[in-house]
Amino acid sequence: MSFLAGLFWDKSSTKAHKTPGGIKPADFKDHSLRSQIMTPPVPKELWLSLRQKDGNNLETLVAVGDKVLKHQLIAAATTPFGVPIHAPTSGQIKEIAAKLVVNAFEERQLHIVIAADGLDNSQQLHPLEMYQSISKIQLIAKLHDLGVGELGGADSPKVIKPDIANQSQTELLIINACECEPFISADEALIREKAEQVVIGVEILQRASGANNSVIAIETRMLDSIQALKAALENRNIKLVLVQTKYPAGDKNQIIQAVTGKEVPSGDLQKDNSILVHNVGTAYAAYNAVIKGQAYISRITTLAGKPLKTAKNFEALIGTPVPFLLELCGNDTLKQESTIVGGSLMGITLFEENVPITRKTNCIIAACSDWFPEPPAELACIRCGDCADVCPAKLLPQQLYAFSRSQDLENLEDQNLIDCIECGACSYVCPSNIPLVQYFRASKATQQDHLKQSELSGHWKERYQFHQSRLIKDKEESKTRKARVTKSRAANSESMDFSRSTAKTDIAAAVNRVKKRKIEAALKKAKEAKNERGEGPI
Amino acid sequence: MKPSTISSPRQTNSKSVSNLMTTVLICLCPGIVSSCWFFGIGILLNILIATIAALVFEAVCLACRGKDPKVQMTDLSAVVTAVLFALTVPVGTPWTFIVAGIAFAILISKHAYGGLGQNLFNPAMTGYLFLLLSFPLAMTTWHIPLNDLTSGMPISPLSMEGVRQSLLASFPFMAFDSNMSKELIDGMTVATPLTLTEMASPNAFAAALSSDASIWSRDARTGWEIVNMAYLLGGLTLLGLKVIRWHIPLAIIGTVTLLSFAFYSPGSATITGTPYMHLFGSATILGAFFIATDPVSAATTTSGRLIYGVIIGISLYSIRVWGSYPDAVAIAVIFGNFWAPMLDHFFKPRSYGHKSKISQLIQGLKS
Repeated sequence: MSFLAGLFWDKSSTKAHKTPGGIKPADFKDHSLRSQIMTPPVPKELWLSLRQKDGNNLETLVAVGDKVLKHQLIAAATTPFGVPIHAPTSGQIKEIAAKLVVNAFEERQLHIVIAADGLDNSQQLHPLEMYQSISKIQLIAKLHDLGVGELGGADSPKVIKPDIANQSQTELLIINACECEPFISADEALIREKAEQVVIGVEILQRASGANNSVIAIETRMLDSIQALKAALENRNIKLVLVQTKYPAGDKNQIIQAVTGKEVPSGDLQKDNSILVHNVGTAYAAYNAVIKGQAYISRITTLAGKPLKTAKNFEALIGTPVPFLLELCGNDTLKQESTIVGGSLMGITLFEENVPITRKTNCIIAACSDWFPEPPAELACIRCGDCADVCPAKLLPQQLYAFSRSQDLENLEDQNLIDCIECGACSYVCPSNIPLVQYFRASKATQQDHLKQSELSGHWKERYQFHQSRLIKDKEESKTRKARVTKSRAANSESMDFSRSTAKTDIAAAVNRVKKRKIEAALKKAKEAKNERGEGPI
Repeated sequence: MKPSTISSPRQTNSKSVSNLMTTVLICLCPGIVSSCWFFGIGILLNILIATIAALVFEAVCLACRGKDPKVQMTDLSAVVTAVLFALTVPVGTPWTFIVAGIAFAILISKHAYGGLGQNLFNPAMTGYLFLLLSFPLAMTTWHIPLNDLTSGMPISPLSMEGVRQSLLASFPFMAFDSNMSKELIDGMTVATPLTLTEMASPNAFAAALSSDASIWSRDARTGWEIVNMAYLLGGLTLLGLKVIRWHIPLAIIGTVTLLSFAFYSPGSATITGTPYMHLFGSATILGAFFIATDPVSAATTTSGRLIYGVIIGISLYSIRVWGSYPDAVAIAVIFGNFWAPMLDHFFKPRSYGHKSKISQLIQGLKS
């Protein structure tokens, strides 16, 4: 037990800060950790999705029928949300077609299908042992070009976000080695066997990100991996932090708090660039890309489940079909009832098993009812509060549940539903078997809908208000016009009054004018009559 | 392989509501057994009648509400309600009263509000309060077999004669001779311990111990301490098994102890009672660990639970000392239930990544 003593008194590792909530489920990891990481044979076909994070497709650089070599670039990113893909093995492009992807429902994406020729011929690689010789920008470009991407759930798939690449404001690089979900042992096996490479990968990431310090956060449970890391970390400037074993210790917020002791402000996860969190797998990929010149074409995946003869960790090529890997482990398909990609707490139960693994597939579980029985009937919530005790976001799931049932969006917002990370710890402990996470996902969707609707209704409200204001304006205008008219009328009548006072003189003048004209006419007549009679002046 | 639409998480722990309720029932056992020792089998009869009635009412209600009684009744919540109710009503209460109280508890207090999880008030306590308000005398009188009716000699409540008397008290129709039941009532009526002056003395327990009588031969008046110790044992077991949390029991017991210390003066001891009497001569322990901790009707946040406990503690002591009811656990718990929703609303814990209300206030004041 001397290594245990070393754990507690060794000053090279630090104990982590406390984080809220968490559960300690049975982890089943020892099954897949019994053997070393194995490299499976190359499958006949590899399916590589062209979908980028933002929904657009990558630009294909090859056509159907083309021959490709291992590590050859076959599709390039069209937007900052794409990561280029490389041929995992040598062969021929068979087709470019829509195929099902890892999901709980029927979803198809455009895939490049490579028919492997079995030769596994590689193109010329450009290894770079002395990566310190190239600049930070060049290093980032090299990582990006070889497809090293973020393996967690961040918004940008790039290993170093553009705004970090341009301005070095990163202080701390945290390498997340907390593999907290049951069944998954890919990272643990990787560290156990390739600690040296991982540590070099961490140094590469530190240089690329410009971080002042880097830390590897690992769960206290992983004794072998800690031993291996300690040996690899000697005389290096990387700190080791031992995090309490619990789920979800590997959550980004939890790991940042465990290392720094500070909570990540709500909603600030993506904005703050001072701390960069990366997975161990990313560090290993960075090592392969820079030191060996290899593209990101394979990853370590755990295969586990009761129907399997042996649970294993495979270094599988990306694009390998899931059934191919399951078969290699001696899968009893009669016993298997469903397939879970990911761990047993956050993993996706596949809609269709015949899908390829992706760059993020860290675990495949062949599920049967022995280990994953049908969930029992949902009973009434007795508000015991167990869920609140285990919530890593310090929410009150029992209240959120009540408000979700009643669709009380105002209170859901007040109770910070938005901060729920959907880890499922509440559902795990619920004695009434309530699928709380499902309720919260649905409520979040309703919230989004409501927001959209209120935006839309805001638009119509604006139009209505404009219409109303125009009506009011019109009314007022008509009122003022009316007022003006009546005023002018009043003015007119006033002027008429005025004329009345002068009318007499006017009339008199007119009468005089008429009289004058009459007299003139009479005089004229008399004169004409005189002239007719020829009477001259007597 | 059939397509599955099960969402994550696929793994759950084995804890279930029926496990929780069974644990509560098991933890009540020491108290029930010791009660039987001192008060006879009356308490068992209470439990039996109440449980049967509760299960029948529960099944009928669930069926009427269109739920499957076979699935929903596995939670055993009706049994826990029945047992807690049976422990609060005096031993020797006629079965008709018990059925009426349970009917009120299950039909009105629980299912009329929407069933388990929706009830605002603790069903067992509303059932008891219904009886207390309707039949005040019956609910404050304990029928304990202490004398052989024919010879007038003191007997053990567990002797044949004692069992017979307990049965007669619970099922009065079994007395064929009307004289007999009349005699019975006259013969074994004992007031609740809080009105007994013996309990007011801080040394009652010590005195009983120092006397020659062994612990097991003591009678109903001094037996209360043992019963409460047994409840305390069960309650602490519940705490240890994490079925309940420490906040509510600690707040109630702490408040009652503090208040009884503050208002205790040796001269007027008979009026306010010693802290010892308030804890071990009453239903405080049972209430604090088993009744007030009913999660459905209690506050659900940490600080909310503490305040909830303090409110119950204060009302418990006040009603007992200055009110007109001898024991007040039921009233105090119902009184606490009134506050619970508001406490939940105002005493939310700070969510991860959010500022506390106080720091928000300070910031607001600064700007």
